[in-house]
Amino acid sequence: MSDIEVKGYIVKRDRLYTETDEWVKIEGDIAVIGITDYAQKKLKNIIGIELPSRGTRVRAGDTIGTIESIKAVSDIYAPVSGEVIEVNERLSNEPELINHEPYEGGWMVKIKIASKDELGKLLSPEKYAEKISRD
Amino acid sequence: MPRIPLLDLLKSYGGDVGVFAGFETIMSYGDPFSEHLAVRRDAAVFDISHMGRILVEGPDSQELLDLLLPRDLSDSKDSVMVGPTAFLNDSGGFKDDVMLYRFSNERWLVVCNAINREKILGWLREWVSRKGYKASIVDQTLETAMLAIQGPRAIDYISKIPGFSGASSLKPLEFLENLDTSLGRVDIISRSGWTGEDGFEIVSSPSIAAEIIARLRSMGVALAGLIARDSLRMEMGYVLYGEDIDENINPYEARYWVFTRGKEGCIGCDALREIGRRGVTKARYMFRLKKGLRVIPRRGYKVLYEGEEIGYITSGSYSPYLERPIAMGYIKSSHALPGLSVDIEVRGKLYEAKILDYPLIKR
Repeated sequence: MSDIEVKGYIVKRDRLYTETDEWVKIEGDIAVIGITDYAQKKLKNIIGIELPSRGTRVRAGDTIGTIESIKAVSDIYAPVSGEVIEVNERLSNEPELINHEPYEGGWMVKIKIASKDELGKLLSPEKYAEKISRD
Repeated sequence: MPRIPLLDLLKSYGGDVGVFAGFETIMSYGDPFSEHLAVRRDAAVFDISHMGRILVEGPDSQELLDLLLPRDLSDSKDSVMVGPTAFLNDSGGFKDDVMLYRFSNERWLVVCNAINREKILGWLREWVSRKGYKASIVDQTLETAMLAIQGPRAIDYISKIPGFSGASSLKPLEFLENLDTSLGRVDIISRSGWTGEDGFEIVSSPSIAAEIIARLRSMGVALAGLIARDSLRMEMGYVLYGEDIDENINPYEARYWVFTRGKEGCIGCDALREIGRRGVTKARYMFRLKKGLRVIPRRGYKVLYEGEEIGYITSGSYSPYLERPIAMGYIKSSHALPGLSVDIEVRGKLYEAKILDYPLIKR
């Protein structure tokens, strides 16, 4: 399953996407969440991140954190509703991981999915690639 | 929207396009921190073609500039830049801060901020017509390109390009005009810049600028964009028009010494004298946050001391050289105390910062 590359940005085929440039990888009833290669390249050097604490209940579309980059402060939105069951603690001291490995070491939170019905609203890799190709 | 002439070429070299001061230009080549450090440790080349370049020519050129600038021009010399100086309004506020190239007392190039180009063109033309001066005002910005090669090794790289060796003997702010090089005729090359490092600024046709960039790249010189230019200028405490200074800020408040004390008769000179007599209620200082703090103080954020608001941030960044957030802003004169530890409010939380004088790094 090779990645999609559009305008120099990598889109992984093994996950879903949001209009606000988050990715969601489904592992059973857990959603692993991060931001896309496109998003990190737009933000440039990331110097800090604020994430919700474990146990926080979130609804799809809620702001669940902020990313501070050399260019701007931007919000991170929950792609799905549920409970935050794990937070990537490494990012508090190494936020640059989001730049270096947006799809791997740069993951942000894991959410226990409340309702799988919501997944239908997320974008397929092909649809997301189409979105960024229009930018 | 105007764009820098080499935009497509620089995109092909990995440049990310953004808009600055109404120009489509290159914001970075993917990693602004590396670009910043390349300038501090080696060298990098910026395309700064967005900068306004206005030629003032004619027998009354110097009289016109002498009327509009608070700096004494009587000791200026041919082939040496004057500046930084500024155009002021009647209240002593900044219309723009500029550098001047003096070719002769009858021919000058005003390099102004991109955001103020139309305003300064209009201002110069207005005074030419009001006073009936014999001087022509010609905007050359869109016809030429402008590059900045900055860094401790800039001189090594530039002198390796055949025909540029003359540039290596320039002293700071000196410049050469119509330099014949192996790549063609370069309009201007000056020993100047806006990064705190040694370096050169070049005005030439876009095609020759493209050749210069190609030569520098082949020697391994990094390309840098405007994000790195911003963090570099901030370490030095250099102001950016529209962020740190504007029509409502005067040179005393900005602690930006663009004027000659005692000069009379210029636009803004009377106001400056009055401000100097009265004193100011706020002054521009730098802020340095602790290592490990992972926020950037941005424009409009509040500065507090013991819970009281004592100032505000006008621009902030992250210094990859000092490895910490830095900022500049205005502090009430009563608290303009370098060394004082204050708080900056970032999204409802307070972060400790120290008020410091500029520059934040010693070169």
